[in-house]
Amino acid sequence: MPITMNRGAYALAGSSLAFKTGTWRSAKPVHVHAAAPCHGACPAGEDQQAWLALLQEGKPQKAWESLVTSNPLPAITGRVCPHPCESACNRGQFDQPIAIHGIERWLGDEAIRNNWSYPRLSGEIRPERVAIVGAGPAGLSAAYHLTQRKYNVVLFDSLPEAGGLLRSAIPPTRLPRSVIDAEIGRLLHTGIEFRPRTALGRDITLDELRSEFDAVFLGVGAGKSRHWDVDGAVPADLHEGLALLREWLAVGALPKPNAVVIHGGGNTAVDLARVMRRAGIRDVHVVTASGLPGPDTDPDDILNVVPRELEQAIEEGVQFHPHRTINRLIMRGSKVVGVEMVRLKKLPDGSGRKSRVSFEGTETVLHVDMVVPAIGEVVDASGLEHILRQRDFLPVDMFGRIEGQPGLFAGGDARDRLKAYPNGTVSAAIGDGRRAAEAIDALLSRRQPVEESRPSLPYASLNLSYYESSPRISLPTLALEQRNDNAEIEGGPNTAQAMAEAQRCFSCGNCLACDNCWTLCPDNAVLKTSEIAKDGSHYLFDYEYCKGCGLCAKECPCGFISMQAEE
Amino acid sequence: MTQTTNDPRARQPRFRGLEAGHRACQGCGEALAARLVTESAGPDVILTNATGCLEVFTTPWPQSAWRVPWLHSLFENSAAIASGVEAALKAQGRRSKVIAMGGDGGTFDIGFQALSGMLERMHNVLYVCYDNEAYMNTGIQRSGSTPHAAMTTTSPPGKERMGKRHLKKDLLSIIAAHHIPYAASASVAYPQDLRRKVRRAMEIDGPTFLLVHSPCPLGWGHDGSETIEIARLAVQTGLFPLVELERGEVASVMPLRQKVPVSDYLKLQGRFRHLFVDSDHRAREEREHLQALADYNMERYGLFGDGDDPFDADGADTVRRGGPARA
Repeated sequence: MPITMNRGAYALAGSSLAFKTGTWRSAKPVHVHAAAPCHGACPAGEDQQAWLALLQEGKPQKAWESLVTSNPLPAITGRVCPHPCESACNRGQFDQPIAIHGIERWLGDEAIRNNWSYPRLSGEIRPERVAIVGAGPAGLSAAYHLTQRKYNVVLFDSLPEAGGLLRSAIPPTRLPRSVIDAEIGRLLHTGIEFRPRTALGRDITLDELRSEFDAVFLGVGAGKSRHWDVDGAVPADLHEGLALLREWLAVGALPKPNAVVIHGGGNTAVDLARVMRRAGIRDVHVVTASGLPGPDTDPDDILNVVPRELEQAIEEGVQFHPHRTINRLIMRGSKVVGVEMVRLKKLPDGSGRKSRVSFEGTETVLHVDMVVPAIGEVVDASGLEHILRQRDFLPVDMFGRIEGQPGLFAGGDARDRLKAYPNGTVSAAIGDGRRAAEAIDALLSRRQPVEESRPSLPYASLNLSYYESSPRISLPTLALEQRNDNAEIEGGPNTAQAMAEAQRCFSCGNCLACDNCWTLCPDNAVLKTSEIAKDGSHYLFDYEYCKGCGLCAKECPCGFISMQAEE
Repeated sequence: MTQTTNDPRARQPRFRGLEAGHRACQGCGEALAARLVTESAGPDVILTNATGCLEVFTTPWPQSAWRVPWLHSLFENSAAIASGVEAALKAQGRRSKVIAMGGDGGTFDIGFQALSGMLERMHNVLYVCYDNEAYMNTGIQRSGSTPHAAMTTTSPPGKERMGKRHLKKDLLSIIAAHHIPYAASASVAYPQDLRRKVRRAMEIDGPTFLLVHSPCPLGWGHDGSETIEIARLAVQTGLFPLVELERGEVASVMPLRQKVPVSDYLKLQGRFRHLFVDSDHRAREEREHLQALADYNMERYGLFGDGDDPFDADGADTVRRGGPARA
């Protein structure tokens, strides 16, 4: 450090900036963008924190554009998704989770109302052609993501309209047809060639597709009801749940027994139960091996239904019998007059695998004149015989690649259940389509597919001193007496509510631009700059002067700063 | 050191009165407090500084971390120097604000008579005391500001005593008794509140006083990363109430929302370690004593207001995207 002397041999005062206190440091602060728990939990792969941040900045259209980079159908998922993001939300441990589904729905509806179009991505136009079989959520998502990557996409469906089970199995009380039309219409207008009324096995074969196209994605869904009987007994007039629901959605017809028992614990069972109850059937019972949400119920043993749907069903008078199964049909001739139920639970056996154990001595009888199985569906094998080979579902990896079948991909309800990627929801199907698009792009570009995976930010990594409790918005719900077969039961938030709700986001794992690090650094070693900071924050650490005290890391509300040992 | 305009340090959207490169310890509360005070005061100031850590770590020969005029003379005369500078400026018809600074040693004890004289003569000076509750520069000796039962090198706990025998001097009341226009306590854990109080004091033509609670990681025995956490707990427990006094009367207090036990504050610091020795019956007694002192503060200043207050201890430093929620 040169010292300048004047003629009297006094040193001229210099700035302390010449003294680099950074050499004192044994650990340095770094920005670490951990995944927000909502992002980690989202089956569609949305980064909710990212689009909530844009809403906090007052940019709804930018927020929507960020959202649709992973999920092109937010007005739909905002209505029907069981929102695992909200269960994972760190705010749930502070007061109440962010109403992410409500904000997503509002963004989706705003996009429809304002006619926003999907962001145009740059990139070269690809000559390759990809066939997608099935225009349900999985196929639509794969088609969208491949079109965004500039591939030629042909989308086949056996029905006259795209939508798959969105149209055929979800009642308009949960998902209005106008919303389906708007979102799917926009998606199909991105340059996808849609060929309706074209069924695999009937109008086209898989071999033809595989020879004509560079890759084929199967989003065929699970359209065939699982075989159901009770000790070999089946009533003569058996109706399957999904078939009944489809028929009611298509033509409005519904059988009218005095009392009915629906066997199953998914959305089909609950949707059908509510439709039947509204149609005036006195006693509608749902018998399910799963449990109702409650303190004693294991989280993976809860009914696989959107929680608010379950509450509404109970309000409407559907009678649930959790942790039970049907043990025996009580028949008079070939006609059902009742069922015998028995209690059961999923318990680990000797090898640690969970299986259902029923408890002798807990049998009870329900007097009903109709039994409807809704225990799930399997893939309809038509056209897929030599791929399925007697299996119920298509065997895939996380990118939807079918074992031993290069160039053939599958997703949505048609695939096997993977532990890390459970399926059975619209959001999961959308995620499948997105990952398969990545895998198809990788295959055709001769590279390995990548899926982002970052650890989620734990609640303990937040500094809660900087947040204030504020209640979650409550969304309007139609009163019991106003509910009918068409009107949507749950409403969305208004603009003010949605914007206020977005402000509740903690911004877990990502910079909140709150200035805390900049304000609290005793050494002036945090610099505020939006031009130079390239990591999504507004701040730089000046390692020439940072002494490594760790104050900024401790006082960062969002857990975005970590201390890293110096080498 | 030359700076180009591309250097982000040269383009910070705030004034820096105290620049990087100073020699304060890691996580120094006093350095942070001085940075915040000079930032809010702006460039048109003249500083005087009593002897102490702040003087030593900012001005090692031949450098200075200050970017405003700064004078140091002796331990006891920061207020006296400031009085003289202010009188000289007045004679010249200049309006720069004079800020006198000192630690708790230079304010509560050694420089007290000069401070009292400055207040009594109604000089237009803001006096800022950085209170880290002991003589840290010379090796952690007790001062008039050291809290009851705290360990320092001259108040060690042992058979005879549990740390400091006496109480923390209630300096703010003594200052207020000078009937000056404005006196307040602030904390580094509440930078918005601290900045507001500095701006308020800067506007007043007359003597004003600010007592800023500034944890010392070395002297208090805590990690440098915990400085803010500890300062925040001092406020939230009621041990260091944030109050504003005008002409001797309490004008406002930062209310508390929930009661936090003093143990939460004490147990993080080495200087109170002896209060957590279970085998010593005096430990419990002294903890209860400190709790009673906190309770006394809550009662005296009415720290529990009605309902939520936008400026209360839980809400004052909350943030939202883009900055403090209540700037």
